[in-house]
Amino acid sequence: MVGQAALVLTAGARPDGAFAFRMFPEASTMEIHLWREVDGRWIPAREGEWSAHDGSGQLRHFSWRDRVRDPILASIDTRVFASYGADAQLARLGRALDDVADHLPEDGETVRLRAEVVVSRNGREPTATTLESHPRRRGP
Amino acid sequence: MWDAVRRWRDAVGDAYALGLVRIALGLLLFAAGLRAARDLEDVYFGDVFHWPIVPEALVPSRSVYALLVIAQVLLAVLVVAGHRTSARPALLASALLGTYLLLCDRLQFHNNRWALYCYAVLLAFAPCDRSFHLGPPPATRVGPLWAARLAQIQLALIYVASGGSKLLDPDWRDGRVLLERFRLYGSQAVEAGVPQRVLDWMTQADVTSALAKLAIATELLLAVGLGSRSARVFALWWGLWFHLVIEATSRVEGFTWLTLSIYVLFVTPDVHVRKLSFDSSRALGRCAARAVALLDWLARFEVKAWGPDAVRQGHVVVVVRRDGTPATGLRALAMVARCTPLLFPVWAPLALLASFTRGRDADVED
Repeated sequence: MVGQAALVLTAGARPDGAFAFRMFPEASTMEIHLWREVDGRWIPAREGEWSAHDGSGQLRHFSWRDRVRDPILASIDTRVFASYGADAQLARLGRALDDVADHLPEDGETVRLRAEVVVSRNGREPTATTLESHPRRRGP
Repeated sequence: MWDAVRRWRDAVGDAYALGLVRIALGLLLFAAGLRAARDLEDVYFGDVFHWPIVPEALVPSRSVYALLVIAQVLLAVLVVAGHRTSARPALLASALLGTYLLLCDRLQFHNNRWALYCYAVLLAFAPCDRSFHLGPPPATRVGPLWAARLAQIQLALIYVASGGSKLLDPDWRDGRVLLERFRLYGSQAVEAGVPQRVLDWMTQADVTSALAKLAIATELLLAVGLGSRSARVFALWWGLWFHLVIEATSRVEGFTWLTLSIYVLFVTPDVHVRKLSFDSSRALGRCAARAVALLDWLARFEVKAWGPDAVRQGHVVVVVRRDGTPATGLRALAMVARCTPLLFPVWAPLALLASFTRGRDADVED
């Protein structure tokens, strides 16, 4: 019970407030637009899909949803409800960008990924937030 | 102070209702296992983006995870079966396994799942295997209640955490969060049959502000009211409707049924203390007795026929309350509703109506 109380009192230290029983904390929405950096330019990956050449020069197709199955994070270019609040979903999205960047071994072009997120918190005017993955670790 | 703590710790009571709660938790654990199995058919979470709280090295491989999901389902079956040697260890193992899997992927965290495992851990230390179980009956159903009372405190903590976080959030207090939820999901409500004018009324800022304050007050007062002997029945009734409204308007997985199951822990730990007598010479009396026996899941009533000369003025049913006072007619019906889960939603209006019929009790001799 003491541990439970500690988890409740420290909920603010966790972006998703996990283990703190914050029910229906927000009614925020978000719309994710995905971009990728190629040769110093940012190219949109519409609906989370793109094509890129692999190391041998063969053109391949990639999809954000191959790796990201969460129904909120997998929705690209679509306004969705941000369950557990916008901060929770932005924290997850930041992790997802890094994760996808680390799992594109056959993409020989993309340097890193970027998400431009339009967030409307509890019905307020939308604001834009940008998140970027770390640069990809590509083989020699 | 210490005496009060010791009394609380050493309290014992009939564990009849605990068996029902065990079965409810077992069914919810079973549903959770099946959901995990269905998800696994689609994709193993470890093969795609996930966010473990434990180190990645502790996340199970696909094959190990499949075995753990099977174990979840089998443990849930053992919990429901309630055998004396396996039910409580299975309950504890289910909770620990479920918690471990939650820690393996933060994306799968939901408050209702975490609450289920918290209750399961606590109930594992309560004598919940002495009723509704397979195998020979126990020597006694009476057992210690401290773990069940900790589960009651767990419920209060959830209400305080949820209501408190809303109270501290200006957007929640002002009704902005509710207003936006209604706006976002209003079209779905209209498609489901909610009249447009009802939605229009509910999407007024003044209305959502009032509803938000009501929701916050409800959660905070439930935390207190459930612990109060005098306010408990009304708190249970109000909380029941509060959760049914949430169930009807939101997606909360099994949280409604989980919480309503935990409400059973607030039942006074004894059985058949109230008496329901009926006139066996009349079809209505026999039907009423049969219906009460069928609905009396918490064993609140001792149901028995009386001789025709025991009651004046032709009553069909007489209920004798815990304090020995008799009730007939609407007051008896209200008492039955108070004690039977399926009729409990209509208890408060029945009790209100019955309060205007007080004089009729005096006609009965018991």
